[in-house]
Amino acid sequence: MNDAAKASDGLSQDKLRRILEVTRDLARPFDLSTMLYTIVDAAKDLLDAEGGTVWQYQPADDMLEMRVARGLDAIRIPADRGIVGECVRTRAPINVPDCYADPRFNRDVDKASGQRTRCMLSLPLVGYDDQLVGVLQVVNRREGVFDADDEAVASALAAQCAVALQRMQMTEQLMASEKLRQEISVAREVQMGTLPKAPPSLPDYDFAGLFKPTDDTGGDTYDFVPCDDGRIFVLMGDATGHGIGPALSATQVRAMLRVAQRLGANLDDAFRHINDQLVVDLAEDRFVTAFLGQLDPRNHTLHYHSGGQGPLLHFRAADLSCEFSPPTTFPMGAMILPAMKPAKVAHLEPGDVFALISDGVYEYMDGQERQFGEEGVAELLRRYHDRPMPYLLGRLMEALREFGQGAPQLDDVTVVLIRRLPLAKPLLEDFEERTTRAGTSWQRRQEFKRSFDALPGVFAFIQRCLAQDGIGPDARYAVEFTVEELFTNMVKYNADGSGRIALEIERDDGHLECRLSDPDSGFFDVTAAPDADVNASADQREPGGLGLHLIRRMVENLDYDYSGRRSLITFRKRLGSD
Amino acid sequence: MFEIVQGDNGRVVFSGRLDAAQCAKAQAFLDAAADPREFDFAGLEYISSAGLGVLLRAHKKVMASGGKLRLVNVNNHIFDIFRYSGFDQLFEVERLA
Repeated sequence: MNDAAKASDGLSQDKLRRILEVTRDLARPFDLSTMLYTIVDAAKDLLDAEGGTVWQYQPADDMLEMRVARGLDAIRIPADRGIVGECVRTRAPINVPDCYADPRFNRDVDKASGQRTRCMLSLPLVGYDDQLVGVLQVVNRREGVFDADDEAVASALAAQCAVALQRMQMTEQLMASEKLRQEISVAREVQMGTLPKAPPSLPDYDFAGLFKPTDDTGGDTYDFVPCDDGRIFVLMGDATGHGIGPALSATQVRAMLRVAQRLGANLDDAFRHINDQLVVDLAEDRFVTAFLGQLDPRNHTLHYHSGGQGPLLHFRAADLSCEFSPPTTFPMGAMILPAMKPAKVAHLEPGDVFALISDGVYEYMDGQERQFGEEGVAELLRRYHDRPMPYLLGRLMEALREFGQGAPQLDDVTVVLIRRLPLAKPLLEDFEERTTRAGTSWQRRQEFKRSFDALPGVFAFIQRCLAQDGIGPDARYAVEFTVEELFTNMVKYNADGSGRIALEIERDDGHLECRLSDPDSGFFDVTAAPDADVNASADQREPGGLGLHLIRRMVENLDYDYSGRRSLITFRKRLGSD
Repeated sequence: MFEIVQGDNGRVVFSGRLDAAQCAKAQAFLDAAADPREFDFAGLEYISSAGLGVLLRAHKKVMASGGKLRLVNVNNHIFDIFRYSGFDQLFEVERLA
């Protein structure tokens, strides 16, 4: 070799140029396989070798994988095996002139390839942060064996290859995780798309449902499926595990239920067939805990099978009690069900709530590993059972967040709430009526909502008050007329006011005293309103103003008091002989 | 409870309680009624000032077509209201026997 043509580190100008060319090629973006081919081809070319291999080191399980070597299948071997293993361990080049004379040589590779390895040069591929990326091996120099010059050339090449390879591995990992992320996000979209857009609308019922997965996808689902006869299937399921697999199982259960409903299946058949199909489809260690019920809003029964899903909560409005029931049968997909036990029945009385709540709620942890538990749920039911179910659901989620004190949610949270609304009561009963008595006098008070709809309640209250003392129709008419006039004015002219309008009626000796108070109103002195011109002709007259004109003639002592946005109107009616 | 129905010969029959919550119903009926001449209040127990507004509007409509409204079988309480409000001057009012 010509000394003048050698660079300072002993490489020939020609080889240095080739290494730089390879470096330039490796900087071009292409996939990992092409890069491995490029490295092997460059090594064979530069070192005049018959063959070459790149072993990629996989630190996760301390294995070496040969993803490319022309004409050979991919092979994985433990990273401490053979000459390549020695190279991993020492991170130094190993030049073996006669492989079959070296005890470290692993002859299995030759057996697999049918080739014979004479001499071999192994070089560690060490990345920029000193991490081992793999090992480059070239075999069978066409003339003689690899020498010190070859080692120097190969080391220079290996340094370039290691960095390029490492960069490519990282890029591919990023792309793979990004692709996975996108696929998960599509899966989530599909899964969430199968959840009910809105709960069913039934006059006697209030529903709410929520699914809040821990991962991008979770294994829970729920559904309300109306049947042609007016009944409603209610589903809540939880497939074991998290991620796309369980999400698919949960979605499958929901889809099978939809088909069952379309085919007119009854509750028992739907449960059994979905179960049996899951047994066929799911891996042996997989199952789906599922509640499947059918609500009949005509007789207020909820028939159900609960495969491993529990506890089931029946809140009874009559005594504010919470009854927790266990599942009724095995989880879906666990085994073929030869015969179904009869469905259990919950009878929903007015105001009752049936709650399907996933173990993700009951087992919700705070920072000290304490669970939210059945009592936490029961407490919320007792406090908020008479509010709209979406509101109760919101309070439950809020309570979980507070309980968790920032601890991460560990399990999917799914909740389905079914409430039979209380029987419609007269408006009067909406607010507490208070009565106090002293001798022959009494006082009753009731509050009413700020609406014309409250009028029947107002009249019913007046009639109840006046009936008890046999107060006659003249006084009653005047009180009704006056209260209606004042009450409707409060509603009409102060529709946005807050708080309820209170009516108080007091009896003392020969009088009734009535007080109407509006806690949030503007100033309007009813006693100062001008009289209407009762002698005007019809076309000059307007209905407005007539009411106040009339009540000043029908009752006595009309008085107005205003303080701190509170209007208080008082009047008295003398009880006559009628 | 408030009911309003069409009787014979331009007669409209009122019954129950005509309060502010019922006025829209009465108004809609009277706006659609063809040429009413007489309102029968035999079954009408109660009318509020909002109800008087409905009557006034019906009366103006009838007068515009050259007619006149008679109110018959008016009970004492409602008659007092009419008197206080001057409605007895506007309508021909006949008290309940």
